[in-house]
Amino acid sequence: MRVRIAIFVVVTIAVFCFFQFWYSYHFFYYEQNQIFLWEWEYVSGYFQRVGGFASLMGDFLTQFYYYLYAGSVILTLCIAMVGVLLYKLLTNLKVSSWVAIALGLSLMVFLTVCHFSKSYKLSSTICILGWLLTFWLVSRIFGVRGCRGTGIVFMLVLLPAYLLFGMPKAVRLQAPDLVLEKDFAVSNEYHFGNYDKVLDIVGSSDGWTRQMMFFYNLVYAHRGELPDHLLDFIPNNLGTFEKIGPETPRLTIINMNELYWALGDMTFTERAAMMTNVFAPENRNVRMIKRLAECNIVSGDSAAAQKYLRILSKTFAYKHWADETQMHLSKGQLPPYLAQKKPFVNHHDTITISDNAHFLMMQLLDANPGNTIALDYILCSTLLLKDIQNFKRDYDRYCMETAKPRLKKLYQEALCIWLAGTNAPQEEWQRYVQRQDVLRRFIEYNNQRGNPRFKDTYWYYYDKAGFALNDK
Amino acid sequence: MINDKEYCAMEGRSVKLKVYGWMIRLSFIIYYLSFSTACSRAPEKVQKIDVLPPVYPDYCDITIPENIAPLNFLLRNDQCEALEVRAGDLTLNARGNEVVFDIDDWKALLSQHAGKEIEVTVTALINGQWIEFKSFGWQIVKDRIDPYLTYRLIEPDYEIWNQIQIQQRCIENFDVNALGHYEQLENRCMNCHTYGSQSPDLSMMYVRGPGGGAILNQNGQLSKLNLKTDDMISGSVYFGFSPSGRYIVFSTNLIIPGFHSLASKRLEVFDSKSDVYVADLKTHTMLRSHLLSDSTKFETFPTFSPDGKYIYYCVADSVALPSDIKNLQYRLARIPFDEATSTIGTQVELWNVGSSVCHPRISPDGRYLLYTVADYGTFPIWHPEADLQLMDLQTGDIDTLAVVNSEKSDTYHSWSSNSRWFVFASKRDDGLYGKPYFCYIDKDGKAHKPFCLPQAHPTFYDNNLKSFNAPELGKGKVPFDVEDVAKAMKQEAIPFK
Repeated sequence: MRVRIAIFVVVTIAVFCFFQFWYSYHFFYYEQNQIFLWEWEYVSGYFQRVGGFASLMGDFLTQFYYYLYAGSVILTLCIAMVGVLLYKLLTNLKVSSWVAIALGLSLMVFLTVCHFSKSYKLSSTICILGWLLTFWLVSRIFGVRGCRGTGIVFMLVLLPAYLLFGMPKAVRLQAPDLVLEKDFAVSNEYHFGNYDKVLDIVGSSDGWTRQMMFFYNLVYAHRGELPDHLLDFIPNNLGTFEKIGPETPRLTIINMNELYWALGDMTFTERAAMMTNVFAPENRNVRMIKRLAECNIVSGDSAAAQKYLRILSKTFAYKHWADETQMHLSKGQLPPYLAQKKPFVNHHDTITISDNAHFLMMQLLDANPGNTIALDYILCSTLLLKDIQNFKRDYDRYCMETAKPRLKKLYQEALCIWLAGTNAPQEEWQRYVQRQDVLRRFIEYNNQRGNPRFKDTYWYYYDKAGFALNDK
Repeated sequence: MINDKEYCAMEGRSVKLKVYGWMIRLSFIIYYLSFSTACSRAPEKVQKIDVLPPVYPDYCDITIPENIAPLNFLLRNDQCEALEVRAGDLTLNARGNEVVFDIDDWKALLSQHAGKEIEVTVTALINGQWIEFKSFGWQIVKDRIDPYLTYRLIEPDYEIWNQIQIQQRCIENFDVNALGHYEQLENRCMNCHTYGSQSPDLSMMYVRGPGGGAILNQNGQLSKLNLKTDDMISGSVYFGFSPSGRYIVFSTNLIIPGFHSLASKRLEVFDSKSDVYVADLKTHTMLRSHLLSDSTKFETFPTFSPDGKYIYYCVADSVALPSDIKNLQYRLARIPFDEATSTIGTQVELWNVGSSVCHPRISPDGRYLLYTVADYGTFPIWHPEADLQLMDLQTGDIDTLAVVNSEKSDTYHSWSSNSRWFVFASKRDDGLYGKPYFCYIDKDGKAHKPFCLPQAHPTFYDNNLKSFNAPELGKGKVPFDVEDVAKAMKQEAIPFK
């Protein structure tokens, strides 16, 4: 018996360790893409569909994935309970204990593999758990043993168990997606404001996805250092060339939401949040509901913000935030981090039929030239495209005409290209290129064009890098 | 004749519906019991205040029909521990801040007081103190409202959709059934369901995408129509039936979504082209008029007059869009129509009401024209200033409906068959999510304060993240469901010449 328990414990610990130490960011994905309201009106809705109890329990438990370690603990316990229950049921049916343990462990491993997929919900495991629990309980209560009793038990529990637990969802089995795990990691650490951790994750990776580059850039943009790191990855992904449409992946839409939020465009922040909800399962994404509250608070639409705050106040994980925000609002104040966003809000009304990020950023900069994040994104976007003409136009408009030249090395290097290409007079060079170190290196580079020694310069990128097709 | 296969399918569906029905009933019973019997604490040491209770939805001093479902509501106060509500002879005690009436008690209350006003008094236990709020009235009128409401449920940002539903709700109780559901209709976009003369035996809805078309219901027989001919810019968008049911007048619109940079204004939707046509359902032909498809104008929102002698619609001179959107001003227009000869007239009459007009709808008795006005454009859903107006077609007087309109968008209206009620979608609560409101027009043409569609759960609207889009009233339950629509979608579409 001890050996059997030990085997179960070892497998359970292994499952826990895997999910906690190699797959924990997936839990945020599950947690985000639903909302669970602790209210009878909401809870009763689950009982209007087959399998409602399993869905209810699954969604109820999934909301706690928001907390560190909770996801691994909950999922491991559910998987372990499935294994133990199958073992108990089989031994109750006089199946050899070693066969029972083998089948129990197999089911645990199978469910673990199922949970590698981001589309496999906890409710499916709860569904299996529910069926096993029902069979086991009924067989215990009725004292049915052996194969002859199986049929009777089966008939007795079939309908109620089906109504309560439904059927588990089928999922295509896959290997753990550790690349996606890293994508989730950067996205979530960024969302929680752990910018150093984002940089650590990206820095310690052997390969980089577009998602990782996107958040790497966003972190540096917050720090005013985007132009210093734009050439760290070639090709790079700023996210400014993405558009939201029916075919846009949900992760991209969520990224767009983070980008618009960072830029300060509340119209498009709201749109991306709504679109995330539109394409989320059941049209619910709790993180985006929080974002909808935030962007409406910033844009001053208190009635809309109240709608979302009320919803969030009925959740476990977001209630504290909703109540605190409500307290600030009742005093006529904004939470400090939202107050910081207020100056970036566009107060001019224009209509565009495109979600072209360049146009949006121009609008934001026209409204507020001090929006450094928008400034760096607009300048870096044109530089990635090697569009020196438009870079120069934007630089003039938002740096020279506002008498706030942004003397970043990258921009100075790009200006050298424009000045050289237009045979600009000396006074123009003096006006634009104020960093002598850049000028000296430009002269050196012109004598050794394409030399990898200049890999860190925009000139090398301009001459040598393949066009950033992926970003177009 | 129903064959065996169809019978079995119907039986299977029937069993499934019964199971669902019982599950829904069970949840309502548990819900009702939890609120109505869990606490029946009577108020004591009551403090009276001269303030109306903060009830949500706002059901203070409203006019309601005798056949409406219970007006369940909540008190917008998180500190509320218990409530007593006295409405006429009915007293209800509940724990918490939610009031859920028993439907039988409610029906008895309305039938006893039909034609009278009842006083409603809310007393709440707040922070240990019973507080009696100022009483308000419910005027119960004998003019009944059409008992069925159809609407589309969609996320408020309409430009991209997913998982749309068209539902039918019995507003005498809380029964809901789906007419269009994304699960059965391959997650397609669906346009609104519109009745002919509020009759459940004549209606149409449009299902978009490849193999889509207009699903026409004629006495429960569904057929799929292809209302787009080669010379048209799109399929039907806004439409209405002639009183005889033989003709459908509809607009074709090239719809462009635009985005305001000002966050509070959000979305602007406009037509880059739009025309109006009439489809003859008997001969499957299109009736055209150059006056309704003028390339220099945008014609849209057509509807027949109840006598079938006119087509009312909205028309605007084309302007450069989106740059000149604020100069896009739609005027009300009408053109004669002769059902006997299938001819569209040659004389257009225009009205200028001072703002851009949308959605003209004439009351079934022909007395009133209800329409929406906005500062500009053709998509009032996102215009907070969008308001309803009522024109008396006998006198030409315009009522700006101050008692009906709100600070947010009020639009997309439809009449009840007795011309005493209309429903409209209002975003008055949060500016984002449209909800159906019902308004009473008395025999003198006076509009009364509207009320929101009651729900079984008072917190329904707080939790709901879908807009009720294009609500339409009907005299009865339509004789088809989503499974029938899914079957009709597989039919070959009937072409029009």
